[in-house]
Amino acid sequence: MDKKILPGEPINEVEALQRLQQQEDPSQRCYAAWWLGRMRSQHPDVIPLLLKALEIKPTATEAAIAVARSAARSLGKLHAKTALAPLIQALLHPDHGLREAAARSLGELGDSKAIKPLMERLLLPGADEPVGNGLHLGEPCEALLEAIGQICITIKFETNQDFQQPLERFLQNKRPVVASAASRALLQISGNPKWAEPMLALLEHPQLQMRRAALMDLGACGWRPAAEAISCCLAENSLKLIALRNLVEQPLIISGSISLGAREQQLLALMDKLL
Amino acid sequence: MNLLKDLLLAVQTAATADSLVDATRDLAAICSDLPANSSDQLTAINCLIELLSANNPGAAVAAVDGLIACKTAAVQPILNNLDEHNYGARAWAVRALAQIGDPRGLAVLQRAIEQDIGPSVRRAAAMGLGHIKLAELSPEEKLETMEICLAGLKLGCADGEWIVRYAAVVGLENFGRNSASSFAQACLLLLQARSQEAIEEAPVVRLRAAQALAAFS
Repeated sequence: MDKKILPGEPINEVEALQRLQQQEDPSQRCYAAWWLGRMRSQHPDVIPLLLKALEIKPTATEAAIAVARSAARSLGKLHAKTALAPLIQALLHPDHGLREAAARSLGELGDSKAIKPLMERLLLPGADEPVGNGLHLGEPCEALLEAIGQICITIKFETNQDFQQPLERFLQNKRPVVASAASRALLQISGNPKWAEPMLALLEHPQLQMRRAALMDLGACGWRPAAEAISCCLAENSLKLIALRNLVEQPLIISGSISLGAREQQLLALMDKLL
Repeated sequence: MNLLKDLLLAVQTAATADSLVDATRDLAAICSDLPANSSDQLTAINCLIELLSANNPGAAVAAVDGLIACKTAAVQPILNNLDEHNYGARAWAVRALAQIGDPRGLAVLQRAIEQDIGPSVRRAAAMGLGHIKLAELSPEEKLETMEICLAGLKLGCADGEWIVRYAAVVGLENFGRNSASSFAQACLLLLQARSQEAIEEAPVVRLRAAQALAAFS
């Protein structure tokens, strides 16, 4: 008799590997792939198994695609260097969700070789137009933009105007998340203050959700000039403190190591007031 | 007082999140100007306390500011209305008590740092435990209060959340500056530990501890 496994029941690494390896129940594979990434598993079998799950045909079943998406996300979390080429390959898959997961994970890998394929996908005709029932754009633009920005800050990638210009049109995208992702990526890539302005404006957006997203974006960029605006934004102090911590610890423009200079003192004073 | 009635009505009839923030700010602004401990002030204070449960961060910030401005007059009403079941509201109430620094709030802050599940509640408590006003206490009460504060701050320094440890460091800085040598010495040791990479993993906490230590010497 099959052992009945309840969803959400705690499992261990051996169990997770077995579930990922079996082929009968895709939902168990999906869960196992997620679990191994979530737990940052270091087992030598994990990455080969995840890569196998990622390798699917364009005509794969919905269930196999779901497993592949889960595997793609976990490969990013595990910073699996060997996943670079397969994740780039997955950017070509017809499934929007799989391309999105692959893009985000490429961002986490932070390898400059991914920039070109990410850009190519982003600049395909119709990439920023709604498709089908209008739920998705032609390409997962938000994830692609975020990944490009993240890779550029991870490796301190030097870019030029020719590289930045194609990204600028996404600033006008009707979807606020895409427009935000574009300004965030441009700021990360160039360090030019003008790209911080749309995010600073969103700190005063009537919707709390938008203000929260702008807070987190500015924090993720390490954009220190935003500190004062972040500290007065109408949002939870916990989020403002997380954003300010990022500004202290990971400034976009760093001069030497982080020490207790005048600007750091100001940032800490802003944090103190939010406790 | 007509102005108060108008302001209370504006809070009750606010149709949008923004208008609730505005109405709360207006009420908070006059609250501390009302005669201390008058029934008008109590009414206004109780309305601000209710606003802590409105699930509107902007309104809650304004309400907390209003309560803090009322100082000791707000303490008993806050203690009477602590909402055990509303996590957000309790966090704001602890924050107000922490900022007011009245020794009557000590038990709430102590309990919060010891066992509250919410990091933001423990964060406020840790900061508050370092800012209790001791001037009006008898020598015995003062000693007892300081021991409770130090024990709480020590717990805060060992908390799993970086922001609680950060708040404990800020609390220790103030507490150590205003206390006798034996307490100051204990603060110094705790701050030194927080400034070390082998003990404290969050760079921002180490930086804040270093800043506190510089203020000590």
